[in-house]
Amino acid sequence: MEETLFLKREEVKDINNYDFPALKKALKMKQEDVIVEVKRSTLKGRGGAGFPTGLKWELAFKEAADKKYLICNGDEGEPGTFKDRYLLEESPLKVLEGILIAAYAIGADEGYIYIRGEYAKPIRVFSRVIEEAREKGILGENIFGSGFNFDLYLVKGAGAYVCGDETSLINSIEGKRGRSRIKPPYPVEKGLFDKPTVVNNVETLASAAEIINQGADRYLSLGTEKSRGTKLVCLSGDIRNPGIYELEFGQATLREIIDDFGGGLKNGSGLKFVVPGGISTSILLEDELDIPYTYEDLDAAGSSLGSGAVIVVGEDHDLIDLMLNVSRFFMDETCGTCFPCREGNRQIYHMLKWKKNGFTAKERQLIKDIGKTIHLAARCGLGQTSLNFISSVLDKFEDELMVRGDINVEG
Amino acid sequence: MLKVNIDGQNLEVAEGTTILEAAKKAHIKIPTLCYEEGLSIYGGCRLCVVEVEGENLLQPACATEIRDGMIVRTHSPKVREVRKTLFELIIASHDISCELNCLTCSRNGSCELRKVAEDIGITEIRLSPINKGYGEDKSSYAIMREPNKCITCGRCIRKCEEVQGIGIFTMANRGPATIVTTFGDKGMGNVECTNCGQCIHACPTGALHEVYHYESVWDVLHDESKHVVVQTAPAVRVAISEAFGDEPGTIATGQMVAALRRLGFDKVFDTNFSADLTIMEEGTELIQRIKEGGTLPLFTSCSPGWIKFIEHFYPEFLPHLSSCKSPQQMFGAIAKSYYAEKNNIPREDLVVVSVMPCTAKKFEAKRPEMDGDVDYVLTTRELAGMIKAAGIDMVNLEEEEYDRIMGTSTGAADIFGATGGVMEAALRTAYELITGKELEKLDFYDVRGMTGIKETEVEIDGLTVRAAVAHGLGNVRKLMEMIKAGKEYHFVELMACPGGCIGGGGQPIPTTDEIRQKRIDSIYQIDKNKKLRKSHENPYIKKLYDEYLGEPGSHRAHELLHTHYTARGV
Repeated sequence: MEETLFLKREEVKDINNYDFPALKKALKMKQEDVIVEVKRSTLKGRGGAGFPTGLKWELAFKEAADKKYLICNGDEGEPGTFKDRYLLEESPLKVLEGILIAAYAIGADEGYIYIRGEYAKPIRVFSRVIEEAREKGILGENIFGSGFNFDLYLVKGAGAYVCGDETSLINSIEGKRGRSRIKPPYPVEKGLFDKPTVVNNVETLASAAEIINQGADRYLSLGTEKSRGTKLVCLSGDIRNPGIYELEFGQATLREIIDDFGGGLKNGSGLKFVVPGGISTSILLEDELDIPYTYEDLDAAGSSLGSGAVIVVGEDHDLIDLMLNVSRFFMDETCGTCFPCREGNRQIYHMLKWKKNGFTAKERQLIKDIGKTIHLAARCGLGQTSLNFISSVLDKFEDELMVRGDINVEG
Repeated sequence: MLKVNIDGQNLEVAEGTTILEAAKKAHIKIPTLCYEEGLSIYGGCRLCVVEVEGENLLQPACATEIRDGMIVRTHSPKVREVRKTLFELIIASHDISCELNCLTCSRNGSCELRKVAEDIGITEIRLSPINKGYGEDKSSYAIMREPNKCITCGRCIRKCEEVQGIGIFTMANRGPATIVTTFGDKGMGNVECTNCGQCIHACPTGALHEVYHYESVWDVLHDESKHVVVQTAPAVRVAISEAFGDEPGTIATGQMVAALRRLGFDKVFDTNFSADLTIMEEGTELIQRIKEGGTLPLFTSCSPGWIKFIEHFYPEFLPHLSSCKSPQQMFGAIAKSYYAEKNNIPREDLVVVSVMPCTAKKFEAKRPEMDGDVDYVLTTRELAGMIKAAGIDMVNLEEEEYDRIMGTSTGAADIFGATGGVMEAALRTAYELITGKELEKLDFYDVRGMTGIKETEVEIDGLTVRAAVAHGLGNVRKLMEMIKAGKEYHFVELMACPGGCIGGGGQPIPTTDEIRQKRIDSIYQIDKNKKLRKSHENPYIKKLYDEYLGEPGSHRAHELLHTHYTARGV
């Protein structure tokens, strides 16, 4: 099976060799028409939450304000996800183009690209892109003679996973503690420095540029009815060929992605389970993999496409080790604001840490209760999804993880 | 108006009403911890989550505004189950164990966690407590922090920043390591803390409390070689009985005096006496500054929270501060000179204890420029604790009178306890001293009440005296900025705590706006019922000047009753 090259189709890194076709096209269109085109494409946000991009732009466009901001979210923190890094390194000009188009559409004259601090190379590459674009007048005043003014600043993240959440990211840019804001108001109404702000993921913006460039019709011809276009899939784990693959939605099943693109499991290991959308999504078992890779099919299977990270786990791993690893991540990364997420993840970690013999029924119930509480009551998406992995492992490997009747363990 | 159905009750609310506010209207109590009326919404504790029809996830009632047609369930099985688990998590993080014991906590009678536990019907805690292992912050003379008890609800942070306009606290770290701390973890004693203690009122747990002096006071009371005198601030008498279950605003002056005698104090005196003295000195200073073209406006200097505030944030205005010591310190200075000499008590055997509604008074007593005037400062709460510990049924005691002569005062001194009171007391005296005529209307209503900044103008001998009053450091800062921008006054009263001393950081918990108002009403009631309502009419103040000080502003008065300040900056 071959990749479907929509985003990866042309990778130009030298600004002198790039013509910004989509941007030039957009600047000749009315702002509203750019928004209509993106809305028509049904592009959904690629950061994980899947909010319709065109609608977001339209909401921000309709806000009356003396100032608006466009933010490109490159704080790619979901473990197993590395598509934005790939785009920033390999297609930075397309990302810049997407930023400029979005800014033009919503009426922003200033913007930020927020890149996670650990991404040394993307930061280097994009800093240079910004510098060169300023020199060439692609950033600044009267871009391509259109009368559109826009400047862009790069902000480095400081290592907090929560800053991938758009309101936390906005706080971070403002120099505040990285934690989510209470919504409403949504960023499109009151975002950065209290001005209407659109926050879009790197892949979303690059896709938007290609949608303008190749047209919404081309985009609509790809994928399924509910999942249009393509997706950069980050394939990792115990497979032979990890990497970034661009796939048309519905083109392949999860199993085909693993076997055809990933080359199957390495070292001849058997498959234990797959994390289909990053570690904040629920796992799928071997017998659940024959589903097309689309938003709707993964939802129907009780999981989510998330950020596009497909992590394949072979059978040699210890389940408690894996849960402990994920739990440690969420415990360390909760921002500390809301009690269920902060205390719940801490308690789960402590419970897992000393477990080698399996769980008692009482502990099982407690973990279920905490998981439910975090999911229902946490303040932001980080907390709400933080127990998906652990809960699904416990559900799906219950027999393996529970204390057997003949072993007497206190609890 | 928006229609909403909460737990089957239909009601209409104005746009912008939150679910929490609407529920209150429907007489439904939703538990909260991080929410406090008057502070910004934090949305952290999540105890107030409710079910909203059409939403998969629960919504925080404090942060969710009513939408038209909303159907809300505040205590559905799902909500109650989540709340219980949530509360288990909170309790585990609060580390109630042998080391952290409710019985020994400063808030054993006023803990909000206990109230929430009762309200949501907690019957078991399945999680073991987590010992966070943080050290205590003992850097301040006034306030102590016990971070192991902190649940990081952020109310102290918001109170300090939003009401008091300072912001010494912040959240640091991430995840479960998140803590409330001061800049650079330097400790409350090493940052711009004014010691006002409003954070203590904001705290739902015992993570913040005053630095205790009561143990030392017990020691001196039991030491036969010591002569121990006590002074009580005006605001204490209208609040202390709340600690014994009385209605807010109950006046318990006589019972408190009786209890203090039973505790073993050799003399029970009144800070009101030195409040009258303060008016004589400060009034004289005002008249002098007006007549001789001194620095104006003159700022009052009774509130030690305000003093530390101006030293940090407006040091360039220090020449405006009255050089008068506060009534607490004037009392100490007179006790250790005049009183000691008159009664032949060696200075080293005389112990002065004060009972204050205030935490900053503990810091004030330790200021090097007046060190030794006052030995120990008890808050209203600490005194209530001592009275209980001695088994004294205070509220049922026969009323007793203060000892003479430092226990006699006028109504002008009583009103020091309420915002605007010092101003009013000073105006009563200044008017009569300047004009030589009797003031007809003693009540200056313009400067009374809970409005943040109050102004008045008084005609005195052809001069229109312009006066302003601010209480709560947030309002104080606003007034200071107005003055900085050119607003002109002759005399300005500034108090660190909302409502003045009756709302001090050492007062019984809870101290809410409603309770503040009741205490204020009682203060003015006491004033109204007094025969003497002007400081210069206090016969024993006259006697003190005749026998010892000479006249207001004399050399001796300056030595004993006046002080200087330190530009601290930020």
